[in-house]
Amino acid sequence: MFQQVDFSALDLPPSARALQLEVRAFLRAEMAAGTFEVHLGHTEFNAALSKKIGARGWIGMTWPKRYGGQERSYLDRFVMTEEMLAVAAPCAAHWFGDRQTGPSLLRYGSETQRQRFLPAIARGEFAFALGMSEPNAGSDLAAVKTRAERVDGGWKINGQKVWTSWGHKADAFFVLCRTAPDSGNRHDGLSQLIVELKQPGVTVRPIYFMDGGHHFNEIFFDDVFVPDDMVVGDIGAGWRQITSELALERSGPERYMTTFPLFVELVRRLGKSPDARAAEMIGRLTAGIWSLRRMSLAIAMTLDPGPGAEFGTPKATVDLATEAALVKDLGTFYEREIIDAARLLSDVEPEHGAKNLFERFLAESIVAAPVSTLRGGTTQVLRGLIARKLLGRLK
Amino acid sequence: MSDATEIRNMLVDAATRVFADHVDAKLLDAAKRDGWSADLWRIVSDAQLPLIGIAEEKGGSGGSLSDQAAVLRIAARYAAPIPLAETALAAWLLTEAGLPLIDGPLTIAPVRGETIQAKRDGASWRLTGRVSRVPFARACRRLVVLATATEGLLVATVDPAQCKITAGSNLAFESRDAVDLDNAPAENAALTTAVTPATLRLRGALARALQIAGALEAALELSVRYAGERVQFGRKIAEFQAIQHELARFAGETAAAVGASMSAAGVLERGGDAHLAVASAKIRCSRAAQEGSMIAHQVHGAIGFTDRYALHHATLRLWAWREEFGNEAMWAEALGRSMAAAGADGLWPALTGN
Repeated sequence: MFQQVDFSALDLPPSARALQLEVRAFLRAEMAAGTFEVHLGHTEFNAALSKKIGARGWIGMTWPKRYGGQERSYLDRFVMTEEMLAVAAPCAAHWFGDRQTGPSLLRYGSETQRQRFLPAIARGEFAFALGMSEPNAGSDLAAVKTRAERVDGGWKINGQKVWTSWGHKADAFFVLCRTAPDSGNRHDGLSQLIVELKQPGVTVRPIYFMDGGHHFNEIFFDDVFVPDDMVVGDIGAGWRQITSELALERSGPERYMTTFPLFVELVRRLGKSPDARAAEMIGRLTAGIWSLRRMSLAIAMTLDPGPGAEFGTPKATVDLATEAALVKDLGTFYEREIIDAARLLSDVEPEHGAKNLFERFLAESIVAAPVSTLRGGTTQVLRGLIARKLLGRLK
Repeated sequence: MSDATEIRNMLVDAATRVFADHVDAKLLDAAKRDGWSADLWRIVSDAQLPLIGIAEEKGGSGGSLSDQAAVLRIAARYAAPIPLAETALAAWLLTEAGLPLIDGPLTIAPVRGETIQAKRDGASWRLTGRVSRVPFARACRRLVVLATATEGLLVATVDPAQCKITAGSNLAFESRDAVDLDNAPAENAALTTAVTPATLRLRGALARALQIAGALEAALELSVRYAGERVQFGRKIAEFQAIQHELARFAGETAAAVGASMSAAGVLERGGDAHLAVASAKIRCSRAAQEGSMIAHQVHGAIGFTDRYALHHATLRLWAWREEFGNEAMWAEALGRSMAAAGADGLWPALTGN
């Protein structure tokens, strides 16, 4: 693993260092102005903040300028992402566009789609969601049953998606569906379609989280028409398209930082001269995030296409999918170590919506803890994937 | 590919060949008895590996600290029973103090927080103190000590023949000896402000972190290979999902150890926050040593814990090295104190500072 990576050479370039301070100052000012309230567990949807971030050129920042991007490096994007996560700034209104649909459109989208969506995503004015899972297709995504039938000028969709985060606020979503019957190879016959959410035939229903919060939705299609120009890439190539760009997405700071603000509040609570037990815990947590950050940075740095290449598209010659799975597996368990340390060192009986920031973060982190090892590949799926790579060398 | 990367790759290939060609079961068994391998030292020394990372104008073989880190990691992958890390540490003490390099094998003292007192004796110095667990003291040509004088800190070289050495060993049967200096004459000495017991300990911890990473790589490779060969219930055990998931976790621990230790070498080289980096590396690597060694043995079954099978050369070292130059609890407490002192709002800037 990580054979292509020289960890000793990992260092942020000056551009990323400058950006780090810039983003930090921006977020500090926004928090001081009370623009957003911080919640842990599920990133919040704040369209106004995403527009401000877009106006600063911090969404789609690795994309080509002709599509509203800034042609900056993956490390700049890495820094931007981790600064947002460090204070749990709400980013759901641009997150999926910036991280998934934007890069997919850059790689597989038509020129019309790119012109139409990318600049709007980059401005923070168009929010995408993801339509992948279905009631009977979770980890086994190829089992999707939502069907698109050929009709004059496009496709007609029927079926159901589930667990769509922020589907009730987003403008459109990428829908993985079956455009040809299962003919034996279940990865064939799948396609990706862009479906606008606010149109007849699309019904969005909330699925409330166990603490009462509304992040997830189920979405029903009843004869929804999608014109031909909203097909992403090739009909039948959906599987290849969704599985080809997992490395960056799987290994980002969001895989180990979702409880980080709780760590900060824990340190605040313990004070500047903690006892030996607390100090040891802080030290272990520090070592954990420091090490994970190096691994995550290593992947971003190695996949960075570098100047002159096609911006926004990872270097094609390196395959870090297994390394990315490792980072996610380690990262999601690290997040729980923070929760446990906070619990054990604080003697707080957590309460939903507590006034005290530490106590609220603790409650939110505890109930959200099961989510991180499920979304984006369960622990078990990831370990299977890692093992296949390890053992593949034997054959 | 940059020049530095290309040079590194050549160095790594060359070092790998040296160890792969010369470290075998017979050599490792003999080293368990002797506390080290003089034969291997000669070969590695001829290949000019011990002084990688020390500038050529100072008498070293050139290359960066990260190059040295890469060599230490590879040597550990082969369980090379020689004072490679110790010689590098000694060379660092000597060059920082402005003293000439000497041929190895070398070692350093003290390593466990004890004090060696230095007193002037005319133009020269004499050294007194009892220090424990000195790595390869029996084997070294000279000890390089960091002693305390009324004038300040002193780096001095001592002939081991001038000391009383009582053999001891770590769990891997590597020499860890008690050294008694009783008014022992220093051969060469210089007062210095360039090194301290704390920076020596830091470098020592980094070396052990890198070695842990290398030993974990070896144990992982053995485990993966064994799982692909061993048949139980009519199948290779690698075909069982339970085994696969353990191996995947092992790969994660190993990658974390490699990433943390090699990163820390880079941070030290670039002059970043060395305490954060090295403490993190030692904490993370020591934890990985525990997780990884247990999985390795579980996958291997009973054959893994015998002295006939290679795994124990790696796991005994993991269990020894995680304690040396401070275990994870000691480093975590120190790191935690410094992070807490910087305050909650200093935590993130500190983490992202290098």
